[in-house]
Amino acid sequence: MAIDLDRCQGCRACVEACKIENNTPSAVFWMYVFRLEEGTYPDTSISFLPRPCQHCHNPPCVKVCPTGARFHRDDGIVLTDFDRCIGCRYCEVACPYGVNFFNWRKPEQAFADYQLKMDDPDLAAVTGGLIPPYRNPDLDELQGDEQRRTAGSAHYKGVVEKCTFCVQRVEKGLDPACVVTCPVEALVFGDLEDPNSPVSTYLRGRDQFKLLEELGTDPSVIYVGGTPPTPDAREIERPMTGVGNANA
Amino acid sequence: MVEISRRTFIKATAATGTTLAASKVLFETVDSVAQAEALTLAPTEDRVFTTCWIGKQDCGMSARRIDGRVVKFDGVDDHPRNRGTLCPKGQAQIASIYDPHRVKTPLVRTNAKGVPGEWRRASWDEALELVAAKYREVAADDPKLVLWQKGRSKAKSFYDKAFVKAIGATKLGHGAYCSDTGYRAIEYTVGLHGVLHPDLLNAKYVLSWGWNITNAGGNKFCWLTWPQQMVQAREQNGLKIVQIDPRLRPAGPFADEWVPIRPAGDLALALALCHELIRQGFLDRPYLTTYTNAPYLVGEDGLFLRETVGEGDEAEEVPLVWDEATRRAVPVTEATSPALEGEYTVGGQTAKTAFELFTEHVADATPEWAADKCDVAPDTIRRIATEYGTNARIGATTVVDGVEVPYRPVGIMAYHMAQQELGFPALRAMAIIPMLVGAWGAVGGQLADFTWKIHKNYAKFEDLKVEEPPYDFVLNKSKFFPINTGFPGIVARVMQDPAKYGVEKLPRMVILHMVNPVTSFASQADFLASYEKFEFVAVISPWMSETADLFADVVLPSATIEKYEGPLSAGDGYIDAKALRMPPMDPLFESRGEIDIYLDLTEKMGKLTGEGGYIEHLNKELKLAGTEFELPDGSRPDVRDIFDRWAKMEGLSGIDFFEQNGVWVKGPISPTKRYGYVTDPPFGGAVHRLYGESLLKAQRLQKEMGADEVYWRDYTPFPTWRTPTMEASPPEYDLYLISYKLVEHKQSRTSMVPLLTELSGHQRVEMNPATARRLGLKEGDEVTVESHHALTGETRRVKTVVRLTEGIRPDVVGMPHHFGMWTHPANKDAGPTPNTLYFTDEGYVGMTADAVFHVKVRVMKGGGAA
Repeated sequence: MAIDLDRCQGCRACVEACKIENNTPSAVFWMYVFRLEEGTYPDTSISFLPRPCQHCHNPPCVKVCPTGARFHRDDGIVLTDFDRCIGCRYCEVACPYGVNFFNWRKPEQAFADYQLKMDDPDLAAVTGGLIPPYRNPDLDELQGDEQRRTAGSAHYKGVVEKCTFCVQRVEKGLDPACVVTCPVEALVFGDLEDPNSPVSTYLRGRDQFKLLEELGTDPSVIYVGGTPPTPDAREIERPMTGVGNANA
Repeated sequence: MVEISRRTFIKATAATGTTLAASKVLFETVDSVAQAEALTLAPTEDRVFTTCWIGKQDCGMSARRIDGRVVKFDGVDDHPRNRGTLCPKGQAQIASIYDPHRVKTPLVRTNAKGVPGEWRRASWDEALELVAAKYREVAADDPKLVLWQKGRSKAKSFYDKAFVKAIGATKLGHGAYCSDTGYRAIEYTVGLHGVLHPDLLNAKYVLSWGWNITNAGGNKFCWLTWPQQMVQAREQNGLKIVQIDPRLRPAGPFADEWVPIRPAGDLALALALCHELIRQGFLDRPYLTTYTNAPYLVGEDGLFLRETVGEGDEAEEVPLVWDEATRRAVPVTEATSPALEGEYTVGGQTAKTAFELFTEHVADATPEWAADKCDVAPDTIRRIATEYGTNARIGATTVVDGVEVPYRPVGIMAYHMAQQELGFPALRAMAIIPMLVGAWGAVGGQLADFTWKIHKNYAKFEDLKVEEPPYDFVLNKSKFFPINTGFPGIVARVMQDPAKYGVEKLPRMVILHMVNPVTSFASQADFLASYEKFEFVAVISPWMSETADLFADVVLPSATIEKYEGPLSAGDGYIDAKALRMPPMDPLFESRGEIDIYLDLTEKMGKLTGEGGYIEHLNKELKLAGTEFELPDGSRPDVRDIFDRWAKMEGLSGIDFFEQNGVWVKGPISPTKRYGYVTDPPFGGAVHRLYGESLLKAQRLQKEMGADEVYWRDYTPFPTWRTPTMEASPPEYDLYLISYKLVEHKQSRTSMVPLLTELSGHQRVEMNPATARRLGLKEGDEVTVESHHALTGETRRVKTVVRLTEGIRPDVVGMPHHFGMWTHPANKDAGPTPNTLYFTDEGYVGMTADAVFHVKVRVMKGGGAA
């Protein structure tokens, strides 16, 4: 995935598209956009930094997973097999990008923060009590040659989840939800190993950087059109829960 | 996109074995066992087209449905306005469909008003009859005493205009809180119905004047289309953006230069830019002499010299100009070479051209003079004038689609910043900047609408009506506001003291359509006081608004996106298109679409059919009248059929065209419709008003009728600086409060979406760290913000917390809107609205009866001193 910081408006449409497509509960941001400020008035600068899972080629989360639940597919996507995840949270500790979210609560409890009252009888008459009411059935599908349960599924209590690049969409030949919704096409998805893919074409000849490249994780999320945030960068406009920040 | 029919999709998916545990029948009447069994086998998937309901710009959406249940909205690729994308609000609005906290059934109040409501569920029939009965009672007195008020208009307002006309009510909108000051200034100055936007795709240099680029719309759009065009213009044309704003956050990384202007200094900056453009010789003389009143001769009385041309009924008083060819004053219609500058003796009196007077008017408006008022350095002002003037390429032309058009790739984007005390003169002055360089209607230059359509107000404003009291309660044609936007804040003042305003009859009932004055409008105190005076309040809304909670007698639940609305403009300013909002599901609970509600209401009121009835007005407003597609009078039409007839009248197959294609792309907007220079006639035939003669005439009438200075002082022929009222607050009120929009929100409906309130967080007062240090405050501190009314001494307070940012002037604090609500769990306890702090009476209202979002405040730690 390429992310063009010369285009990003920091609007967080990608965050919301992800939340709807993948049915994540409150305080869980598989895709998150930092709004950052640096400098001193009036020499102030503001920047935006979308941060999905970096889908590293050398993923520290995979190395520490004791059950093989976290794995790196041949196509480059790093996924969690929810049937194998035991919720030890080693991946969460190992990842330097803060993209892992542990499900502390059952989905119906986690979604309660969204005040959607799925058991409301008038609503249940329409939705069958689904959690959330816009429940995406594709998340229950099995993916890959091994047919593993790697999309969001039911957001079970006690597992760790993160961005899947919308594997349930990618397998159908669709781009991830964040990419599709971006109003300014700041996100470009595709096969980095194919020199003719849209993402390779987009990146050609442009200055690039990867987040925390010095750690040797070799992310497959490549940023263009900006510079990495400096240690002076301050996050502004954090969400109400502060979770996006806490995981950063 | 092809809709997969239920039956064929079942066949296709049954074999895959993919099942959803909770798969069930939705909205379908199961009329056969066989069908019921088939439907439980597998979820059926389809897509239906609709249009975003949550924002203003009506982006095209496709709803992905499982068993008729919407699971996701996506943008429509062919829709010019959003091109397959959606903003965070567009994505998150799905939660509002399923919101169990919506008003589910009609409600009737069971307790006293003025305190949170207690309700009983009622049938639609009973609730409608209660509203209709009160209407009949009030209408028997005077139907104008029924007030109908709407918030952000969704879609062409044909159905509500028809409703208001059919029942004879008085109408108010929300524009006086939005940008209507700007609309009035541009209607007055160039005749277009809009504020200011550049021809963005062709612009090189844009003064982003309070344009909240990354959070809000500029002119006309609510957000997404402008950022798309801005990104394109930066990548393809090297567009440069100068952000003129007390805060940096609006432009963020897209500000090539940030000019942190002092709030309310805009008029001074604009006048100084005019001063500099004239001084530096950046003048498009052919444009100024041909298309503006700059060469008109102004006599010693401040009025144009005129001469009668023609005879009898054809006779017309035509302004004179100085014809350099014949060296005499001639009617402008006969001049071949009008002088732009100069002083002349005509008929024994001294006359100067309007341009000469303007040059004198801004002679003292030097950058140094303005710097004192707007706190922008004189050198910066001079440099921006030079950059603007140079980039304007005066004299250049270019060819667009085979048409040669002047090329002036400089523009101003300005919209909501118009809502300030001197907003009308400020926007007039800002409209004169492109006038000087001939950028109005040029390629890359200044626009205010997508086609060059002259608004009826242009002619109306030539002769401003100022009458003696008594006035209606909106104060139309009054000595107070000769130009009158229709300001709910002033109506709230009139209701508290009608005698002061020469008003004899006050509104007795109000029908509120998705509008929440108590929290969304300022001044909150005035709405709380005035709403107690309504005999009856009916609310049409999907949610229990705060206004409804305190004051409604009856609440009628309307649908969110699950309804028909339209026809909607779907163009992006370059491509013309139309679309409809169509229900992706049946309305949830017992809610109904607004058109259905108005059909129901007019039926109960006895105003549906017959002469002057709702159907007749629907036919007129949709231009179906007299065509073969006219709605037959006599019975209640089906709402889908109304749009089917409209689509057929437009030459389409019917509403099925939209159901199958999502959007009707009509094609590119011709340069001869878009650029004023090449429309027929040029600029729609409207002479651009550098000199506001009718403003001066209105002022004289106001004075004759004894209006106080506060009402007439800004009715001046040229935009004229004076110190804003708020500057007279005592020095301890040392900060300017400004308010702004967040990208997560649009009107109060987004505050009901928990996915969005999660992102926007709690209310805060943004403050520069230097200011916080001075006040002994730090990030997260609880504080009291206290506003002060410079004329009455009244103070108002809210409590909130400090958020520090280096992206704001040290003498300014900022608070976003979207807060202060209490009826919905998604926004309850999220902090106060800045509307509690604003004032909307004399000194804090624009000359055109418009809201002012500026006030001086102080910020005190904790609860503040007594």
